[in-house]
Amino acid sequence: MKKPFDILGKLFIALLIVLWLAPLIWLVITSLKSENTVMSDTLSLVFTPTIENYRKAFASTLLGRWMLNSLTVAVVTTILTVLIDSAMAYVLARIPFRGRKALFIFILAGMMIPFEVLIIQLYLEFTTLGLANTLAAVILPRLALPIGVFILTQFFRSIPLVLEEAAFIDGASRFTVFRTIILPLSKSAVFAVAIIAFINAWNDFLWPLVAISSSEKYTITVGIANFQGTHGTEYSLIMAGALLASVPQIIMYLLFRKNIVKSIAMTGIKE
Amino acid sequence: MLLHDADHKKRDILFFSLPYLTVYVAFMVFPVVYGFYLSFFDWNILSTKVFVGLKNYVEAFSDPEFLSSFFHTIQFVVISTPLIIVVGFIMALIAVRPTKTGRISETVFFLPYMLSTSVVGTLWAWIFQKNYGLANQLLKSVGLSPLGWLTDPSIAMTSIIIATLWWTAGFNMILFSAGMKQIPEEIYDAAKIDGAGSFTTLTKITIPLLRDTSLLVLVLQIIASFKVFGQVYVMTGGGPYGTTRVLVQYVYKTGFSYFRLGYASAMSILLFMVILLVSVIQFLRKPDETQ
Repeated sequence: MKKPFDILGKLFIALLIVLWLAPLIWLVITSLKSENTVMSDTLSLVFTPTIENYRKAFASTLLGRWMLNSLTVAVVTTILTVLIDSAMAYVLARIPFRGRKALFIFILAGMMIPFEVLIIQLYLEFTTLGLANTLAAVILPRLALPIGVFILTQFFRSIPLVLEEAAFIDGASRFTVFRTIILPLSKSAVFAVAIIAFINAWNDFLWPLVAISSSEKYTITVGIANFQGTHGTEYSLIMAGALLASVPQIIMYLLFRKNIVKSIAMTGIKE
Repeated sequence: MLLHDADHKKRDILFFSLPYLTVYVAFMVFPVVYGFYLSFFDWNILSTKVFVGLKNYVEAFSDPEFLSSFFHTIQFVVISTPLIIVVGFIMALIAVRPTKTGRISETVFFLPYMLSTSVVGTLWAWIFQKNYGLANQLLKSVGLSPLGWLTDPSIAMTSIIIATLWWTAGFNMILFSAGMKQIPEEIYDAAKIDGAGSFTTLTKITIPLLRDTSLLVLVLQIIASFKVFGQVYVMTGGGPYGTTRVLVQYVYKTGFSYFRLGYASAMSILLFMVILLVSVIQFLRKPDETQ
């Protein structure tokens, strides 16, 4: 595809970029306008920007609390997912035993289970466990990430055995080998799984909506959706909240764009 | 393998796999089985479970609300899938170029995918807002009459699809451009020497060689579309007059507003079956595409 662009092509690309950026620019602009300006003078790009909406979002809503909840959920989920999934992958990649292949298939089958069809049962389960309306309920069902195990298993298998053999001869345990050889050599795969886990956890909506009933325990996604109900027409406030809710992902995206794109290409996960 | 293996093999297997298997079985496998079980019962949490056989499944197919939710979901799948795939493909053609334009395009097109459902939903609810929203303001500014983007039953679903297109096209772009990068440069060079134009190159080389990627994208997109919920919930709440209510939302409502847990489970299982059927298509073709 080396053919030089013609003018029409260039215009088309520019148009597409503008179309894709416009909603985001509109989001930022709305969040910087005062409530009155938003209602009277929607399209105007000339206005006195105000950070009043941001101040209000923090002062008169639970936004700060929700962000903290989401951050807790996302960080804990990411760390535990990486630990649990890589340990599982180590068994599948490195410890031969009868039935291992069947176990691998059993785990991969999980990729076909859509989270959306589990909400009723999970809700009942967590109520029985006495964990409904806790952040633990939001975290636990996300920890088994079959695609993560798949990526890590494939990666571990590609590491030459020689390194481990030397360590085993020196009397190292599997745990030591896993911790000091396998994991450090698998940074890129671990990072990919961490990114997927973090994004999934931060963006999760349906399950926290079901699992959490008290507003001080909402994650940010549920909180923002709830904004509409409670602050119906205060669009500039809602947009300030929506923007704040996206800050962690936008920072992540700017810092790790290449890795994120690579992980997505690697997995084809879709939530 | 190694001598060491004999010693603690069993213990190590347990140590490494138990945490994963516990959460996997408890929160994924068990709920599937439990959902199957519940789907044969009439149960509203407070009462005792009454075994009703296939009654819940039979009911679903004569329940107008289920049928309309199913229809809206199909409508969403059928319209959004080709649209999101084609736009994603066009984006990939732009983004795959190793130029500044390519890099900027990729960054911009993928950015919305990083946002959460509820952010996308609230943003587009505001864009489509009747009086002050961007969409109607723009229409008014060029002298057209404003539309009831989210309040007019005939276009509400289209509005949701537009928002979804903006949100997720970048995902398909990534998969397509990953596929395009696998195509050897020599093939294009050869085509150029033979005097093939860019349209011929596209239809005779790029598209045919992306067959496997396209299948993957298609399957993932159909599955994702069947699971649609968040943006609908936030943008319209299923309205106006239930014209955008989708399956997941009806399951949610049946379970948590009507407390008909057996019936809600039966509908979940039906959705699961549909999704499984779509996933199977992919495995029929080529088992190792995801690698």
